[in-house]
Amino acid sequence: MTDAPNVGTKKPLLEVNNLKKSFPIKKGFLQRTVGHVRAVDDVSFSITEGETLSLVGESGCGKTTTVRAIMRAINPDEGQVLFRTRDDEMVDLAELSLSKIRPLRRDIQMIFQDPFSSLNPRMTIFQLISEPLLVNRIGTHEERQDRVVELLRKVGLRPEYMQRFPHAFSGGQRQRIGIARALAINPRLIVADEPVSGLDVSVQAQVINLMMDLQDEFGLTYLFVSHDLSVVNQISDRVVVMYVGRVAEVGTPQELFHNPKHPYTAALISSLPISDPKQRAERTVLEGEIANPANPPSGCYFHPRCPFAIDKCKVETPPLKEDSSGRLVSCHRADELELVGATKPGAANG
Amino acid sequence: MQTPESESVVTEQDTVTEPLLSVQDLQTYFFTDEGTVKAVDGASFDVYAGQTLGIVGESGCGKSITAKSILQIIDRPGRIIGGQVKFSPDGAAVQNLLELEPNGPEIRSIRGGEISMIFQEPMTSFSPIHTFGNQIIEAIRLHSSLDKIEAHELAVDWMRRVGIPTPETRMSEYAYQFSGGQRQRAMIAMALCTEPRVLIADEPTTALDVTTQAQILDLLQTLQKQNDMAIVFITHDLGVIAEVADIVAVMYLGKVVEIGPVESIFSSPKHPYSKALLSSMPTIDAAHRERMPSITGAIPHPQNRPSGCAFHPRCPSYMSDICGLKEPELVSVGTDQQASCFLYGRD
Repeated sequence: MTDAPNVGTKKPLLEVNNLKKSFPIKKGFLQRTVGHVRAVDDVSFSITEGETLSLVGESGCGKTTTVRAIMRAINPDEGQVLFRTRDDEMVDLAELSLSKIRPLRRDIQMIFQDPFSSLNPRMTIFQLISEPLLVNRIGTHEERQDRVVELLRKVGLRPEYMQRFPHAFSGGQRQRIGIARALAINPRLIVADEPVSGLDVSVQAQVINLMMDLQDEFGLTYLFVSHDLSVVNQISDRVVVMYVGRVAEVGTPQELFHNPKHPYTAALISSLPISDPKQRAERTVLEGEIANPANPPSGCYFHPRCPFAIDKCKVETPPLKEDSSGRLVSCHRADELELVGATKPGAANG
Repeated sequence: MQTPESESVVTEQDTVTEPLLSVQDLQTYFFTDEGTVKAVDGASFDVYAGQTLGIVGESGCGKSITAKSILQIIDRPGRIIGGQVKFSPDGAAVQNLLELEPNGPEIRSIRGGEISMIFQEPMTSFSPIHTFGNQIIEAIRLHSSLDKIEAHELAVDWMRRVGIPTPETRMSEYAYQFSGGQRQRAMIAMALCTEPRVLIADEPTTALDVTTQAQILDLLQTLQKQNDMAIVFITHDLGVIAEVADIVAVMYLGKVVEIGPVESIFSSPKHPYSKALLSSMPTIDAAHRERMPSITGAIPHPQNRPSGCAFHPRCPSYMSDICGLKEPELVSVGTDQQASCFLYGRD
């Protein structure tokens, strides 16, 4: 319906090219390396200024590792992480030394999944939210105090609570504190790793609404990581579906959910519980388990579970490329398959 | 092994059949230093053979405590202080489980025998130092007179029925060697190997990925049909409830605020809380970047339970003359639903 604020005219803020990261598996007394877990295996995507891009996938698909590599919490093995600075220059975060990255960190902030363990229990709300300002030596004490008051109002908390400790707040309120903390130094990119997974549905809706409001107000760009397709649909402009460290498919939520091109996307959608008891129908349940990234199958990682796999899928890794309709898919049979997405009641394309 | 059940599957209209399990006015309180927490405060529902009762609610609504109270596995400082849990397995006399000694032989033979339970986190529900095989065999031998070899065969058979490949070899493996989905399957095998009449499933798929969740839900429904078993399915996920439940009980702060058949609850929820909960559920059908309807405020701390109707501070239909003053009772609304709200049945 409503598109992202003129995505077409804006430039990419972050471009991830062929990112790779694997972790050694060490065994025995001598801790010899016996293999590698390919957590992120050739991932590319780009985020335009002002848009929300979501990484979605099941456990072990590499979404968190991708995010950590972008933040340089871990060093990627290969690939580029290009970030547009305020001077309109593209710098490669993957290559910069940590001291050169430091000033750029002001522009990229993170919101974490667990609001219980991500806030220091011995710091007051004022200390927590003003910490990024203090670290970056911004403002005097009074200015910081004013800023915290302003931020608390923005995220819907009462400034009077500033001197309280995190334990006095509920999960949803703590997530608001986490958001205020991320916003404190006016970042341009916010990386949110499962920000609403630990919250109850009624509170989850509040936090999603808040994130969308703040995006409109401050022109933020979001990289949103989630395993929950319904949440992703609500907030994203574009979605990257990942499976075992690779990108399966990229598209708008509309495209992905109602006209999936990759069999894995279709399988994910069909395994979602249908929220209408009258529509209970036999669905195709995906067999088998998620491939082990330490010992992935040959060819397309999805082929052992894929109902449409052909011999080519067993030997050749499908590249992520545009299909005939211009969608980015990594499937050999993307053009020939007719996959079923979610049926939208009363939809135009239904 | 599996006794073919002759009785037909109970439907909502089949009022002749007695409920297998009937929970009436259950009250479980926690007596902490900071005060009494009324975790469950008057929950009532019936469960019939072959049916699934879904209990849905957000954190702190008392859904897990309700389930644990049925089997009297409440840890201190919690205590069941009132109510009845009537259990009448096919043909047997009605028994009030709450009258049994919590550590006595009667309830222990029912726990894991006629009423089994599966939990959210299968990693912590298994012993890390015993093999899966031994744990399942132990469960079987506790509740039957089978010898070791027979029990072993039955355990292997159940591992196969729940879809664990090469069950003979996996019997001698430990919990850490299984994936999350397989552990949940093994837990289902352990819970069902005694052929219980009632299975209590407390968030059995919450920790699992969606594709695995779909597999486990399918498995539970298949096994339920085979044994004509009743399931009490506890979850916070409305999508899962829509998929598995026949009857839905919506809980808020220790009380059942609405109960009725799943179609009625989803098509026309009556209690303002059920309405709000259903509308705040994100779906993949929703229009893109639409603001989600949300419930204002947060779930109150159980010690600061609001007066009157516990939902009144967050309720969009709040009526100042009554909601904060009196507690509403469950009353019949429409043809087959019950809701506790002053919008209905007010004189």
